[in-house]
Amino acid sequence: MGDPTRDDLARGDLSLDDLPVRLDGVVKRYGNRTVLDGVSLEVTPGITGLVGPNGAGKSTLVRSILGLVRLAAGSVRVFGLDPAREPRRVRSLLGVVPEDECAVPGLSGVEMVRYAARLCGMPGLESLRRAHEVLDWCDAGQERYRPVETLSVGTRQKVAFAAAIVHDPKMVILDEPTNGLDPLERRAMLGRLLTLARNHGKTVLVSTHVLPDVQSICDRVVVLARGRVRLTGTIEDLTRPAIPAHRLEGDGPLDDLARLLCARGLPTRRAGDDEEALLLEPPGPDRLGLVWESARDSGVLIRSLEPAHRPLEDVFVQALRAADHADMTAEESAGRKVSHATP
Amino acid sequence: MPLHDVGYRPWQGDRRGAGSAIGVIASTGIRLAWTSHWLRRMVLLAWSPAIVFAMSFFAFEQAIDEGRLVSMREAAQAGRNLDGVGMLGTVLADTLGRPRPKAGDTGGVGPDGSPVVDRKIDIADTRHVVWSRLLLAFMRVPQAVLLAVVIGLIAPSLVSRDLRAKAWLVYFTRPVSRIEYVLGKAAILGALVAAITVLPALSLWLMGVLVSPSVWVAVDTWDLPLKAVAASAALAVPTVLLALAYSSVTAESRIASFAWFATWAACWIAHSTLTTADMVAAVRQAQQGDRPAVVQREDRDGFWGEDPFGDRKNDRSAANRRSSSSNVPVGRGLGGRFRWLSQAAGMDPAIDRWAWLSPYHALGVVQAWIFGIETRPRAVVPSLLSLTVVSIGAVLVLFNRIDAPTRV
Repeated sequence: MGDPTRDDLARGDLSLDDLPVRLDGVVKRYGNRTVLDGVSLEVTPGITGLVGPNGAGKSTLVRSILGLVRLAAGSVRVFGLDPAREPRRVRSLLGVVPEDECAVPGLSGVEMVRYAARLCGMPGLESLRRAHEVLDWCDAGQERYRPVETLSVGTRQKVAFAAAIVHDPKMVILDEPTNGLDPLERRAMLGRLLTLARNHGKTVLVSTHVLPDVQSICDRVVVLARGRVRLTGTIEDLTRPAIPAHRLEGDGPLDDLARLLCARGLPTRRAGDDEEALLLEPPGPDRLGLVWESARDSGVLIRSLEPAHRPLEDVFVQALRAADHADMTAEESAGRKVSHATP
Repeated sequence: MPLHDVGYRPWQGDRRGAGSAIGVIASTGIRLAWTSHWLRRMVLLAWSPAIVFAMSFFAFEQAIDEGRLVSMREAAQAGRNLDGVGMLGTVLADTLGRPRPKAGDTGGVGPDGSPVVDRKIDIADTRHVVWSRLLLAFMRVPQAVLLAVVIGLIAPSLVSRDLRAKAWLVYFTRPVSRIEYVLGKAAILGALVAAITVLPALSLWLMGVLVSPSVWVAVDTWDLPLKAVAASAALAVPTVLLALAYSSVTAESRIASFAWFATWAACWIAHSTLTTADMVAAVRQAQQGDRPAVVQREDRDGFWGEDPFGDRKNDRSAANRRSSSSNVPVGRGLGGRFRWLSQAAGMDPAIDRWAWLSPYHALGVVQAWIFGIETRPRAVVPSLLSLTVVSIGAVLVLFNRIDAPTRV
């Protein structure tokens, strides 16, 4: 039997205990400050992006999944287990890449990965073999033999990632995994996450600020702001425009093409002032020929034609604005109640 | 891209159970600590005093073999100096200088007030006492001081470095509990304690047996290796916990290091100051004629009465007599200037009532109790309580601080 999916859950083939992570009304306070305010969410198999502004409570959420913090209210289940009661079992199922560069000074890269493997219970010699295997996959090269404190940021990130997956966890949690990586390394890192999720059935939770990364690899996204879940859903659903459209990218006089298509009965407009793209009403299979002919007639070379998506950044900003508005309204109404109650 | 890259593969081997992390943390920590040149030198240095003490064992066993024990005892009881190797002469004079009390006697003092002298010496008992005192002196003087220095070099960075480098995430995002983490770190220091006190002490005992005329010496002293291990454990538990607690309260290991050495120094100074004040008060009291010459007499009286050869009733009665007649601790042994040395060898009969203030002195009292040299509850209980309180306090601080980063 393969790994459980969201469809399995919808069909009832998947019980709640099989869900990688399930949070129900989680409240966490540090003194008077409420960091998580009734957070309820489910992380399903696949890649989930956890996004939110600084101080939104992302790190605390990750810590609550690991059982590192005591909750004021609510419950957390990781593969059906309570991290507060069974932290050892939960943590053996998880691999974590923290945002902070954390390493044991004095150890080399490969020793660090091996140390992580042994802490997870892997036998001595096997842990060394496995550490090299995973570092090879992460393309760590000969840098692995240098002390971790002397490694470049990118290599340190590779070592931290290798240390997180060396014990073959069922779920990997990454906090800002592409921090400090150059474009090539960033692309490689995202490719590894896709491989883990698609080919090896791992559940991946990525907490990041880099929205294009989320959009490029995540199946689902959770927007967290001021300790509350503001938005959750699949990338496909969230980025779908209000009015369905196709996006056409091409080289040449795009304005001429837009005018021609409009004249031929296919509503079309410029995607943006500084974008070499058009948005057109979804052409059915019968009208695709019209698009090609119009492009040829107006001298435009089409590079791509695909269903249009809203940039995730727009979705994110919109969600945050809505959250701010909702919070302000709630505060005002609370203030009115207090003023009414006060004689 | 390496030629042998096989991509990512699942791993389904057997994992080790709970507790394995302790060994992993300890072995890795020891390996990292051992890279320090200073540590290697200190551990090497820690073995050298064993050779000197082994010569003392040899000289003592030679004295027994040549039948000089009775004459040495008579010389000691007559107050004459004894020739010996280093501390051996003092230990022998101290041990042999005590008359053997008889059952129902007046505490080893004859009707005319002179000490009762027995012509027979129980060699096995004498050997046991002398070996015990030499082992205690070995563990107290060179080894305990070296241990304090070595722990001060290594321990401060053990937890503080993890806090600074945020390496605590390496542990607590994996199946490692706080107890395993603390035990793993403590095991690193435990290994150092073993390398500096237990192993040299056991080797010293073995060398003592080997340089003796008969291997039956091992039968007479069979319990000493066990007592050496127990004394080392008593030394290790409070010191290791205190050092780790200091290390956990700061991310700067130098601050923890300073706090460690400052504690030892400040407590030593406090202890010395209070003890000296007591002695000055005793001398003033004597000078005012309140109790002329009694201080010294009672001290000697108590000293004679503390009998390592006889039954403990005499010992207890002597201690009671001493406590009821004088509350003023006055040292003898190696004299006022080196009083701490005679205390270290368990040769100062006066109760060190401020020992509980100083870790070094409190540990000395407890170790002397383990070796059976100090048996008076009034002397042992305060030090034992003090070390217990320090250990419990250190554990509380340690667990609270290790948990702290997750609460930020």
